[in-house]
Amino acid sequence: MADMILKGGEYLIADVACESVFTPEDFSDEQKQFAETTEQFVMNEIVPKMEEIDQQNFELVVEGMKKCGDLGLLMMDTPEEYGGLDLDKASSMLVAEKISYGGSFSVAFSAHTGIGTLPLVYYGTPEQKEKYLGRIISGEWCAAYCLTEPGSGSDALGAQATAVLSEDGGHYVLNGTKQFITNGGFAQIFTIFAKVDKQHFTAFLVERDFPGLVVGAEEKKMGIKGSSTTQIILDNCKVPEENVLGEIGKGHKIAFNVLNVGRFKLGAAVTGASKMALVTGIKYANERVQFKKKISSFGAIGEKIADLTAAIFASESLVYRLAGLLDEKLATIDKDIDNYYVEYLKGIEEYASECGISKVFCSEVLAQTVDEVVQIFGGYGFVSDYPAERYYRDERINRIFEGTNEINRLLIPGMILRKAMKGELPLQAEAMKAFESLMTPSFEELDESIPFVAEKVLLKNLKTLFLILAGTGVQKFMDKIADEQEILMAAADIAIQIFALESAVLRAEKALPRFSERKQGLVRAAVKVFAFSASETAGSAARKGAFYIEEGDTLTMILAGVRRFTKYDATGLLAAKRLLAEAACEEERYLFG
Amino acid sequence: MKILVCIKQVPDMESKFKVAADSRWYDTADLAWRMNEYDEFAVEQAVLVKEQVGDADITVLSIGPDKVKETIKKALAMGCDRGVHIADDEVSSREPFQIAGMIAEYARDKNFDLILTGMQSQDRGSGQVGILVAELLDLPGVSTVVAFSLADGRLELRRELEGGVKARVATGLPAVVTCQLGLNNPRYPTLPNIMKAKKKELITVGVADVLKVEARQQTAKLYFPEKKGGGLILEGEPAEVADRLITILKEKTAVLA
Repeated sequence: MADMILKGGEYLIADVACESVFTPEDFSDEQKQFAETTEQFVMNEIVPKMEEIDQQNFELVVEGMKKCGDLGLLMMDTPEEYGGLDLDKASSMLVAEKISYGGSFSVAFSAHTGIGTLPLVYYGTPEQKEKYLGRIISGEWCAAYCLTEPGSGSDALGAQATAVLSEDGGHYVLNGTKQFITNGGFAQIFTIFAKVDKQHFTAFLVERDFPGLVVGAEEKKMGIKGSSTTQIILDNCKVPEENVLGEIGKGHKIAFNVLNVGRFKLGAAVTGASKMALVTGIKYANERVQFKKKISSFGAIGEKIADLTAAIFASESLVYRLAGLLDEKLATIDKDIDNYYVEYLKGIEEYASECGISKVFCSEVLAQTVDEVVQIFGGYGFVSDYPAERYYRDERINRIFEGTNEINRLLIPGMILRKAMKGELPLQAEAMKAFESLMTPSFEELDESIPFVAEKVLLKNLKTLFLILAGTGVQKFMDKIADEQEILMAAADIAIQIFALESAVLRAEKALPRFSERKQGLVRAAVKVFAFSASETAGSAARKGAFYIEEGDTLTMILAGVRRFTKYDATGLLAAKRLLAEAACEEERYLFG
Repeated sequence: MKILVCIKQVPDMESKFKVAADSRWYDTADLAWRMNEYDEFAVEQAVLVKEQVGDADITVLSIGPDKVKETIKKALAMGCDRGVHIADDEVSSREPFQIAGMIAEYARDKNFDLILTGMQSQDRGSGQVGILVAELLDLPGVSTVVAFSLADGRLELRRELEGGVKARVATGLPAVVTCQLGLNNPRYPTLPNIMKAKKKELITVGVADVLKVEARQQTAKLYFPEKKGGGLILEGEPAEVADRLITILKEKTAVLA
């Protein structure tokens, strides 16, 4: 089966069978229990303290993290030989999704378990793991990650912090300033990046008590106010030589690989936040009466609820499909080999483009969700007494950290093109075929016996469209395409919609036989609503891209292709939206999770 | 010490319930399922007893279709030692005497020192099963227990009675105890324990092997209560409203009698 696993980016040229994707309907009993434990913990122990946490009572955060340690929530991604559980990615994403209900607390949790812990897991020596990992997974020590500097954010390798080896070779002296350090206020262990001899980018494990580590003041933030964000100032900070993490000069590998992991987990976390915001919006819409009717019964509000339900269905489908891909890939690696984590990270990097999609798409679904939830709350959405206002503020950072959505959009086609150039994906050949299809008329007749046939044809067409645009772009700009960011962003938008829609369609198809008739109707409606939106979004991006790349007759031909390949018969769209809205309002929940 | 905990899988109580087509039960399609809340207190109490005495062995039992294994696994992750699944796809049509009959039949020759269960299920809510098990096994049965202590082989229990009154009851073992809200705070299963539970024994027993009693009652019809008229809203000055409220309470209720 190993050779059957879809390669990174391959979804753009392959037909994928629904049996091959992992979906939330496939969770094991154990995974459901992880989710239940996490959800109960967050709802009972964190949510009631949210206001205090948002007033920066960090003792509550540290205490909560210790409780997470007791429950085993901090050991999911750590190896068994150091007391961890080494669970699959689907499990850790499910937990990330549930933790997200804890608002600011979830930021501390994610930073700790992700960028805080994983560099040590992936690159630490046995001695380093022995020394630190136990304290990290028990929650005794909180962890932080220091990459960004005042002058270098997206351009992480432009860091100025320096490390100089002492004359006796016993320790490095670190100098510089690190910016926006999550958990800075209370973390006990920091992974800090600095350049040895001003050129070799390197990671160091630095304890809070090492002389010369100074924690700056708390930043005053727009949202996630209960998370700690500070500068970390390195003032001749003495770090023992044995605390170099990984190899001197190889810090960039640590930085980027850990971000890949952060991105798919962020996708899961924001999906959880979207669900919570949606349910809050639905409940309010059921309570609020205007013109003697519940506002949820008005189409103007119902449509929002339907659109959000469909978008969150896609977001959730995408996240767990990616989890399944990663788990399948990682399961092929022998855990006993010496370079396990080297192979492991290569496995994750294979899906770097999909990780970027997860980050961008799901965070933008959350943005859409919180915006509409504020709108559903009307004036009350604008005041702090109701939760909609906090959701709105807390959401914003998700489109900035873990690589801005712009950086991720560049990376999405960038990684795919790089694979094509290395010969790992036959993109050029497929693009040629796609371009030829522009000149051949279509005689498509839909075989209605195939489930979701209209959406599958749309997907096939969107893939052709992506290939036409990417192919034309590469042909025109060759290796300078990386400088044409506007074109890459448009290509990214098409790829994102393809991956999201395909994930939703495949999940729905796989789940149909297990669903009741009523739920089948709901899932069909969700797919229709999202397919319409995806065809419009991809079409708009494709048209824009066509104007950016071409002119004259070729442009005219491509624009005709855009019209043809984004065609989607959404007959029954209004009925589908009303069905979703009515069911969501009746059950007062997100319908598919 | 051998302990049996009997648990039931019930729907999430926040679900929107519909009456099933045969009007005998609710429609089970599209529902999310949980452990009956009162049974969580029973599981927690069993684990607390084990932690107290050290040498104890906890069997957790549940009756129902295959999906009840999910709930049994939660009890195993909370600290029970083995699971027993009585496979019965018709569980929702069984009445309390049949359920109790199956449990008693299973438990009869196994010398349990303590049998714990919830004081009622959140869906049927008959409150009979635990007490019937005690009767069928000829054991002392103590219901709606809110405080529990075990010392020198005897139980000191506190029961919750009507109107906020409590009763102190002592009994020897073996005994059956049904658990009420307030008895304890059920633990969350930790992730390592959820993983360990995967390796615990979970045996399945056929319904025919344990169902030896006939039903004594049947559900004639399940229906939603008729909608009553809206509440009464009193408006006006507080003192005047209070007077009117007292009048109404005196005339129409017994609370001020």
